[in-house]
Amino acid sequence: MGNETWVVADLTIDGKVRKVTLEAISEARKKLQGTLCGVLLGSGVSALAPELGRYGAEKVYVVDSEILGDYSSEGYSTALSELIKKHSPDIVLAGNTSQGQDYFPRTAARVGAGLALDAIDLGLSDSGRLTVKRYMYSGKSIATVEFLDNSPAMATVRPNAFKPEEDPKTPEVLSESVDIPADCIWTKVVEVKRKESTRPELTEADRIVSGGRGMASSENFPLIFELADTIGAAAGASRAAVDAGFVPYEMQVGQTGKVVSPSIYIAIGISGSVQHFAGMGSSKVIVAINKDPDAPIFSKCDYGIVGDLFKVVPVLTKEFKNLLAQG
Amino acid sequence: MKTYVIVRQTPDTEAKIKVNGDGRSINSESIKWIVNPYDEFAIEEAIRIKENHGGEVILITMGPARNLAALRTGLAMGADSAIHIKDESFASADPYAIAKVIAQEIKNPGDYDLILTGKKMIDEETGQVGIHVAEDLGIPQGAVVTKLDISDDRKSVRVQKEIEGGQVIVDLPLPALLTCERGLNEPRYASLPGIMKAKKKPVKVIETGDIDFSSIGLSAEQLGEGGSRYAVTKLEVPEIKRRLHMIEGMEVSDAVKELVTALREEAKVI
Ligand SMILES: Cc1cc2nc3c(=O)[nH]c(=O)nc-3n(C[C@H](O)[C@H](O)[C@H](O)COP(=O)(O)OP(=O)(O)OC[C@H]3O[C@@H](n4cnc5c(N)ncnc54)[C@H](O)[C@@H]3O)c2cc1C
Ligand SMILES: Nc1ncnc2c1ncn2[C@@H]1O[C@H](COP(=O)(O)O)[C@@H](O)[C@H]1O
Repeated sequence: MGNETWVVADLTIDGKVRKVTLEAISEARKKLQGTLCGVLLGSGVSALAPELGRYGAEKVYVVDSEILGDYSSEGYSTALSELIKKHSPDIVLAGNTSQGQDYFPRTAARVGAGLALDAIDLGLSDSGRLTVKRYMYSGKSIATVEFLDNSPAMATVRPNAFKPEEDPKTPEVLSESVDIPADCIWTKVVEVKRKESTRPELTEADRIVSGGRGMASSENFPLIFELADTIGAAAGASRAAVDAGFVPYEMQVGQTGKVVSPSIYIAIGISGSVQHFAGMGSSKVIVAINKDPDAPIFSKCDYGIVGDLFKVVPVLTKEFKNLLAQG
Repeated sequence: MKTYVIVRQTPDTEAKIKVNGDGRSINSESIKWIVNPYDEFAIEEAIRIKENHGGEVILITMGPARNLAALRTGLAMGADSAIHIKDESFASADPYAIAKVIAQEIKNPGDYDLILTGKKMIDEETGQVGIHVAEDLGIPQGAVVTKLDISDDRKSVRVQKEIEGGQVIVDLPLPALLTCERGLNEPRYASLPGIMKAKKKPVKVIETGDIDFSSIGLSAEQLGEGGSRYAVTKLEVPEIKRRLHMIEGMEVSDAVKELVTALREEAKVI
């Protein structure tokens, strides 16, 4: 036993495998060793095993139990920690999602494993131990962290940090029965509300358009939404825009908001504070639109237009529409 | 309601990060320290709960002497008392060890209803100390919470969390541990009378020597860097090269054309 690398699948509200899971499997296949295994926790999840296989999982452990139908930290951490104790994997990964940040620490505490959250790089040391890179100090530094043992080494990975690449396998599916006593579930789910938005999730988005205080009011935010929808982007905001009540908190990007890493980030009417950069500084390409040529964002972006956003953004939306219509 | 708030100091959000000669730690000489912003949400929420339901708010921190400033800030905001587990070596301890020591202080005397803390430190961003405390105490947790309501009978708490693609609302029995996210509240500023009063509020100091490590299954070494399950082997300040291609002094339509062309042909992101 042992010598396995596990990726625990993150599922959407609708029970689909999240992209970050496929990203983690692909990266683990390239950078780590041992048998690559997927883990499915939930109710009625067995059917998802082939999808994990498509990205390279050679084996898939499934804990399919009604008690896991509603997510709870107790249910998930009990299921995962029992599996870990039984099979002793070397490395256990999951996405750095709202669930991953919730039950991975609890599981790590229970099995006595070291855990690093939000990895942006995975590797093995000379002695075969997991190493990860992760941001510290709010995006201002990158730490290389080396685990001192693989018993197991646990990490969550940042969405969008890795590319999902297919490598089709027909995985061996192992159905595991784990005893999860009903009285160990404390959480009672009252309600799950779905966002109506058809835009991508900020933390997973490959393109993001954000508005700041320069937007001046919530009535102007449709400018941002229309531009975002034109290029299939998620919509974000600075804290100043959230504090002013233009848009809800869940759109905030930054040190005390969401951490994002899209391939293009368009900052509109945003000055570029260190706290905002803490959330989007790792974007591949940063575009800024600001009327102040001395705005700090212009010293840390790839492309900048100096101009009034109310004039520039509608034209930009139109130009993107034209471009994308041509294909 | 007796609420514990686990808090810590962190470098100011504007702080410039300089890496030490060893290449794996930061130079903290000229750093200004503040209360970890997520912990401020926790302190504020605890004080509001006390205002609505009565009871007391106890702050608890673990770390070097300067952490007293963080406790004083929380006391000035309205917390009643504080516990300072003081040792210089705790700085780089393992979250598991930090949590064990903090949990031990909460376990005895043991009568508590709620524990609040931040969702993560903004410096090391470990993001797990609170949850380790919950596991150690054997109580439920709610991580990354944006709203909470104590039930009328004070036996449970209704918690709202943002999840990808929506929100979930769950009920947890008390006592429980919750980690706080921005959106929960707007922390108040300490008033001048609050600051004056804070100076007289009790701060219990626990020195390393006072802790009975064996009874919590830890050795003193585990609290230092040696006890950690992983080590930071390198710390770098990321150097992302930006193109700094400025488009100015043009008609809007020309400026936009230049941008869109560059995004397609040069950056290849559209
Ligand atoms: C502890 C702490 C945590 C924080 N966390 C975050 C965080 O997570 N995220 C975050 O974003 N901030 C955060 N902040 C706040 C941060 O310091 C800044 O205040 C904030 O980012 C500023 O937002 P802004 O750029 O939209 O506003 P401003 O700094 O006011 O900038 C507005 C910009 O819009 C431009 N503008 C105005 N009108 C127009 C126009 N018509 N056309 C074009 N441009 C125009 C202006 O030139 C200006 O540059 C935090 C602060 C603290 C202390
Ligand atoms: N040494 C410590 N003393 C008290 N609280 C701490 C300590 N380390 C972390 N915490 C708390 O645990 C929360 C999560 O921190 P972390 O897991 O280090 O990111 C923070 O918001 C702090 O309130």
